[in-house]
Amino acid sequence: MNILSSLGKSARERASTLLYGLGFFYNVITETLRFFKRSQVGYKVLINQILFTGYEALAINAIMAVAIGAAINVIGSSLLPQFGQSQLMYTILIIVITRELGPLLTAFVITARSGTAIATELGGMVVNHEIEAYISVGLNPISYLVVPRFIGVVVSMVILTVYFNLFGLLGSFVVVQIVNPTPVSEYLGNLLSLLTISDIFSGLVKAFIFGIIVSVVSTYQGFSVNRSSTEIPVAGIRAVGQSFILIIVADVLVTLVQYA
Amino acid sequence: MHEAEKQAVAEAVAPPAIELKSVYVNSGGYELLRGVSLAIPRASTSVLLGATGSGKSALLKAAAGLLVPGSGSVEYLGKDMAKFSKKDETEFRAHSGFIFQDAALWANTNILNNVSMPLRVHKPWMGQSELAEAVRMAFKRLGYEEGMALRPSDLSAGEQKMVCIARAVVHDPDLVFMDDPGTNLDEDGLEQLFALIAELEERGKTLVIASNNSEFAYRYADMLGIIKDGVVVAFGSYEDTLARAEKEPELKLTRLRARGLREKKARRGAS
Repeated sequence: MNILSSLGKSARERASTLLYGLGFFYNVITETLRFFKRSQVGYKVLINQILFTGYEALAINAIMAVAIGAAINVIGSSLLPQFGQSQLMYTILIIVITRELGPLLTAFVITARSGTAIATELGGMVVNHEIEAYISVGLNPISYLVVPRFIGVVVSMVILTVYFNLFGLLGSFVVVQIVNPTPVSEYLGNLLSLLTISDIFSGLVKAFIFGIIVSVVSTYQGFSVNRSSTEIPVAGIRAVGQSFILIIVADVLVTLVQYA
Repeated sequence: MHEAEKQAVAEAVAPPAIELKSVYVNSGGYELLRGVSLAIPRASTSVLLGATGSGKSALLKAAAGLLVPGSGSVEYLGKDMAKFSKKDETEFRAHSGFIFQDAALWANTNILNNVSMPLRVHKPWMGQSELAEAVRMAFKRLGYEEGMALRPSDLSAGEQKMVCIARAVVHDPDLVFMDDPGTNLDEDGLEQLFALIAELEERGKTLVIASNNSEFAYRYADMLGIIKDGVVVAFGSYEDTLARAEKEPELKLTRLRARGLREKKARRGAS
């Protein structure tokens, strides 16, 4: 009886958390639609979020993109000729970079940098009663704190994915010259002839969805802090863990839809 | 019927500024408030006394719509806060201010932005120079003189409290909630706060003060309440509550009883 009762309690709690999460997501979406209609004081927060999430992550994203592109190039150019499939090199490069690793690795970088920052910052604000102070002066925490971070992370995610694609496809050319010198015109010609709009669009759709996941999960976890400062790092850890899991699940689902 | 009589009748039927009806508040498995019911009259000063952890802050936050009751209702001018439209909410916030016990300043922005925020939200047409002037005026009322470009972390706890007080009154609200307003203030700061309360009273504002310092009650209370373990055990006019405490020693109020009744000036601005 005790086991049944505790199972029932746990199920009720999970259902209530899920409902609360869905309600939170609904609020974020409705407030986002209102955000641009009014002259809110949240624009500064939005600009800061884009600077932190997008601009400041450009360097690490570029380094990662060049390294991944180069690795694919190096591995492909040594393996594929053995099977007489050298021409597949560019197809693999495009698919892996634009459709899969571009959005996925960018999402991981943003989760690690901005997801934790957002969750711990908001958690700290809850503990210091700053959220209550916002409510007391008439600012809705969802529209003033969450929406700018939501828009900032989604926009940054999409832009950083485009940036990753550019560096992954073109920047890796520099590294390729060391192992397999290729004329620029040949490299670019091969890439452009095989690159399709759907390759780019597919990656951007994923980036958009991942951006929504990271921002909503991180802000939700930040607000889930109650009273103690020891809850703040826990919120950061949960934000990263849940974001990673949801990103991977979403990645599989979108890929299944694209190739089904 | 004379004008004065008409006004008296209107006042008698007008809903109170804030009314709590059987409010229960739970947080983290603890019952912070247990069935609290009380009505805060308009243009009056209500002081709630209670020991640390008795539920004063929770009561004040529930009354100010910062804590959502698990059950029961909170009404502002007769309207249930749970049924507030966005417009009602904005209206309520524009006409109220809250002094937090631990200041609750926004750490990531400077003092000017902290204090001017209510104005930027409710009077968006005000320019930067007007905002700075309004903030200077609010500080002047408190005798506070610190750089407005400083961040909250650059200030002492007492200075942070002064900034919090300035933020709560900068937009000239009709209703001010004060959660332990004297905490962290030195003697000079406390005198400035008393002067501010007196000025607000004179201008007919509704003040709700939660404190464990009976001086606020002695000086300013029109209504006096006592809260214990999340329950309001007494709430009525200052004189009535004091008279009750004489008969019911468990209500304590030892210091106030020792000081006896006082003559409180009639409020000029009260309507």
